[in-house]
Amino acid sequence: MNKVISINLNGNAYQLEEGGFEALRAYLDTAARRLESNPDKAEIMADIEEAIAAKFRSLLGPNKTVIVAKEVADIIAEMGPVEDAAGAAEIPHPGAGAPAGAGRDAEGAAPVPPARHLFKIHEGAKIGGVCTGLAAYFNIDVTLVRIAFAFLIFAWGSGLLLYVLMWFILPSASTPAEMAAAHGMASATAQEFIRRARQGYYEGTRTFGDKRAYREWKRRFKSEMRGWKQQVKWGVPPWTPNPPPAGAWIALPVLNTLISAVSIIGFIALVSLVATGDVFGLGFFVWWPFWARILTLVGLIGLVRCPLKAIRRSYYGYPWGHWGPSGSLWCVLKWVFVVYLVVWIFGIHTGLHDAVQHLPPKLHHAASSVEQWWNQQ
Amino acid sequence: MSVNEKFTSIRKGLLEFLVLKVIAADKVYAADILDQLSRTEFATQEGTLYPLLSKMRREELVDYEWKESDAGPPRKYYQLTAKGREQLKETSEYWQKINATLRNLGQP
Repeated sequence: MNKVISINLNGNAYQLEEGGFEALRAYLDTAARRLESNPDKAEIMADIEEAIAAKFRSLLGPNKTVIVAKEVADIIAEMGPVEDAAGAAEIPHPGAGAPAGAGRDAEGAAPVPPARHLFKIHEGAKIGGVCTGLAAYFNIDVTLVRIAFAFLIFAWGSGLLLYVLMWFILPSASTPAEMAAAHGMASATAQEFIRRARQGYYEGTRTFGDKRAYREWKRRFKSEMRGWKQQVKWGVPPWTPNPPPAGAWIALPVLNTLISAVSIIGFIALVSLVATGDVFGLGFFVWWPFWARILTLVGLIGLVRCPLKAIRRSYYGYPWGHWGPSGSLWCVLKWVFVVYLVVWIFGIHTGLHDAVQHLPPKLHHAASSVEQWWNQQ
Repeated sequence: MSVNEKFTSIRKGLLEFLVLKVIAADKVYAADILDQLSRTEFATQEGTLYPLLSKMRREELVDYEWKESDAGPPRKYYQLTAKGREQLKETSEYWQKINATLRNLGQP
């Protein structure tokens, strides 16, 4: 099972295995570099991409929608290295390193993988996007991560605790760059592909003779680009900001001030709780264990901030589902659930209460028993 | 060094001439040219042909027009310009001279 990446070649979307994508990217990058001084670089690149696309199309069919890495490698071998006809091909590009390595910056050279970051990913998430984020980070199937969490919940509830903690701590991947980082991809590459596609489009339209054919092609190109944008999960923003609604100029500063005030008060309350074990001497759930009090306070702060932030987001005009008007409701429900969970555990079930209160030592015990088992191996 | 290897640079230099010949015969697109050449000693690849075609167009030897195809997006169909035909004629004549030289040299 391999990860599949959608790419755009001259205005058509193709799905490649990750390994094939890397090889193709390296091939096209090398080609572009070799043609750097060629005045027709853009056109030649478009021709080459179209030739690759034609080879892809001949491989694909109703029962085959993905190009595997081996096929990409074969096609690259078939295409052959791109050589500048003006004779510049033999000259290594500046910064190629030692002269001996001049011929070696060839197709298929392993590119440096960009840095990965751990994010919450809301796309395809079941609860908070923690599992999807972990799956993207480790490049494994999200179902495996979910199963692992489910198992951990049975192990003294540690899965639940871990999940809730990560839910609080991890940032959300919301911009294209963050999305790319979550999957360990360079968004610059994605931008480059888009640029090339557009260039190919304009190159094509400029030299079109027949008006009707030109219109038809333009229409098809546009619809394909739209479809492709929905597919590609990196590089291209999945949304385009709407113009802000009327009244945003007054509402936004007020909202920002409110959110900042809540954040500052929340932070001071948290510091007060950590320092004195109580919030401003109000007797904040003092009969609960310390960590449960912190959890509840963070949950309450979130409860107040979330709807405010959701309103602000709607003013900025993000039309995507998770953060739409229903998003704020969902967000509040999430925090209500967290607070309710804590209250339920410590308020009603005395048996569970005891069990959870002894959770940190038990976790420690579990960790040391795993360590013992490991040492025995 | 085999004969094949010795002639690498000569084949490379002659490629432009051959491409002119192929295009002169009929309007073709790049894959046609590759296909026709693939059955000869001058078999080449997209990586070489596309930059060459673009250079020839810049030198105004060839020209192209977009044509709809049954499968996939429109294709660039190449044809010779007047200058290209002139060049092909000159090169052909020169090649005849070389052939004659090869035949006659060393003969009694």
